[in-house]
Amino acid sequence: MKILSPLDSKEEVGELIQAGADEFFCGLLEETWHRKYPVISINRRPAGKGHFRTFADLKEAVSMAKEHNAPIYFTVNEHYYIDEQYDLVLDYVKKAVDAGVSGIILADYGLLTVLKEMNLSVKLQVGTGGTVFNSQSARFYQRMGASSVTLPRHLTIDEIRKIVENSPEIEFCVFIINSRCVNVDGFCTFEHGLSDQSCFPLYRNACMLPYHISLYPQVSAEERDMGDIIREHRFLERQHIWETVHVDDHPCGACALYEFREIGIHAVKIVGRGNTLERKVNDVRFLRTILNLLEEENPSLIDFRKSARELYQNTYSRPCRMHMCYYPEVMEMPA
Amino acid sequence: MEQAVFVSKVENLKYCDEDFSRLYFGMEFCERLIPDAADLKKVISFVNEKKIDFTLVTPYVTEDGLERVERLLGTLAEAKPGSEVVFNDWGMFQVMNDKYPELIPVLGRMLNKMKRGPRLLNVLDKIPLESVTYYRSPSITIPEIREFLLKKGIYRVEFDNLFQGIDLERCGDEIKKTLYMPFAYITTTRLCLTALCDRPDKVKEVGITPCGHECQRYTFYLKNPIMITNLIRKGNTIFFCNEEIPDNLRMFDRVVIEPEIPI
Repeated sequence: MKILSPLDSKEEVGELIQAGADEFFCGLLEETWHRKYPVISINRRPAGKGHFRTFADLKEAVSMAKEHNAPIYFTVNEHYYIDEQYDLVLDYVKKAVDAGVSGIILADYGLLTVLKEMNLSVKLQVGTGGTVFNSQSARFYQRMGASSVTLPRHLTIDEIRKIVENSPEIEFCVFIINSRCVNVDGFCTFEHGLSDQSCFPLYRNACMLPYHISLYPQVSAEERDMGDIIREHRFLERQHIWETVHVDDHPCGACALYEFREIGIHAVKIVGRGNTLERKVNDVRFLRTILNLLEEENPSLIDFRKSARELYQNTYSRPCRMHMCYYPEVMEMPA
Repeated sequence: MEQAVFVSKVENLKYCDEDFSRLYFGMEFCERLIPDAADLKKVISFVNEKKIDFTLVTPYVTEDGLERVERLLGTLAEAKPGSEVVFNDWGMFQVMNDKYPELIPVLGRMLNKMKRGPRLLNVLDKIPLESVTYYRSPSITIPEIREFLLKKGIYRVEFDNLFQGIDLERCGDEIKKTLYMPFAYITTTRLCLTALCDRPDKVKEVGITPCGHECQRYTFYLKNPIMITNLIRKGNTIFFCNEEIPDNLRMFDRVVIEPEIPI
C-alpha cells in the first residue's frame, strides 16, 4: 500500500521521500488562469499557497522524484469547467505531460472523455470529485479510460470492501489523513476561498460558518413548556457541531489501514496541498511508521489498533475523536 | 412548456393536479429513502389513470443501494417502458445503459455541478467578467460534453434555479433542459446531522450511523448574514428556496415544481 502525499514545490520532494512518501499529487497555478478566475480554482485549491508556480519547477520535481521511483500526479480536478476555460485546461495538461508527470487526476467526465481521445502517455485517475460510491460507477469511468479512482470520504470500510471486490481491474485510493469534509466533496457546490482572510465570512468554508439555526416545526409559544425548550435546545446542539470544531483538526483513518491492506487498496491519500512542509513531513512519517508496523510485524487487529491510537496521540497530542475519525466504525472495536 | 410536479413520497401525490402533465417521483439524496417497489407500483397506477408521463428520480448509491434501485428499474421497465429515469450516479447510468434500454436516462441536477452557494452573490460585481460567466454557465457549453451525452443517449439535463442566473445561450438545442423550482440543492452528506438529532448523547457522534428517519419530522433553517437567503437543512442535504422565475425561462422546455422539499 502506497502513501500518496501532497506536494507544493520541488524543494519538498527530498524531505517527503525521506519521511516515507511513495507517490505525490500536486497542482499548478499560472497568471493566465488567475487573472481571469481569481476566486475560481482550476484544481480544487484556492489561489495563494498550495500550487507549483511554473512548469519548469514541476519538471525538476518530477525528475527528482523519479530518482526514487516516486510518480507525481497532476491535478486538474475541478468539478466542472466551461467552454471558455477548456483551451487553458488542456494547455495545462499538455505542459504537465511534457514535464513528465505520471498521471492526471480529474473529476469531470467531460475532461476524461477529451483526454482519452488525446491518447496521452499518462494514467488518467478519477479523483474524489468523481463520486464513485459503487462498482458500477468505477466501471463507467474505467470504460472511459480511467485506471484508478479515489473513493469519496463518505464510505464505510465494508462499503469500500464491496466496491473493490467487485472492481478487480481498477486501482483504488482512499483518504487517510486531514480535511474530513463535512459534505460529499463531489456533490458540494459551495464555493471555497471567495476572498482572502480579511473577510472571514467569505474566506471560511461555508460548512463551518456560524449559523443561527431554527428548528421546524416549532411548538407554539402557548403550548410550549420547559420540556419542549430543553428538547429543542438539544436538537439544535448537534446542528452546530461543525462551527465548534475545525474539520482539519487532524482527522485520521489510520486504524483502518489494517482492513485496507486486506482489501487491496492501492494507495492512501494525505490531504494537505498548502500545508507547511513540517506538517506534511509529520503526516507522512506518522503513516509510514504505522504501515511499517503493519507490513513488517503482522500484528493482530487489536494490537494494531492499539499501536495506531497510541502513535496518533503521541504525534498529534490529541485523543481519537469520533467526529475526527474517517472510519468511525473502527472505534467500536476495543483497543 | 411542460409542467411536472415532484413528489418524494406516495402521500404527496395529492399535489399532482390537472396543471401537470408529468410526475417526478423518487429520491435524489439518500439511499435510505429510496421508495420500495410497492410504492412505485402505486405511483405507476396513478400516472396511468391520470394519463400523464412519468419520471423516476434516483440517488447516488452504495453497492447496497444500487441493488435496491436496480429492482425498481426492473419494475419500471416492465410496467411502464419509455419512462424517464433521472440518474445522479454514473453507476446507475451504467446499469441502465447495460440492462434497461427501454428506460430513458436523464442527467440529474447533482451531476450538473454548477456552483450554488448563495455567498457567490456577494462577489459577482467584484470579479472579472470571465469569472461571472463561469458561475452562470454549465459544462454543456463544451461541445465535446454535449457530443458525449448525446452519444450515450442522454438528451436531457436537470438544473436548479440559481440566484446568479443560468446562461444557456451556448448550450445548443439538441439537449433539453429542465428547471427545478423553488428548492435548489447546495450540498449533501452521508454524515447526516439530522440522524439522531433528538439524542443528546449523540451530539459528536458523526458518521454513517443508523437513523430513525428523523428527516421526516424535523427541518432546520440556517441563517448567516453573508448568505442572501436562509439555508434549509432537510435530512442530509442543504437547500435554498428561490421562487423568482428566471428571465430566460423560455430556454427550458420543462419546469419541475417541488411543492415540498424533496426529502
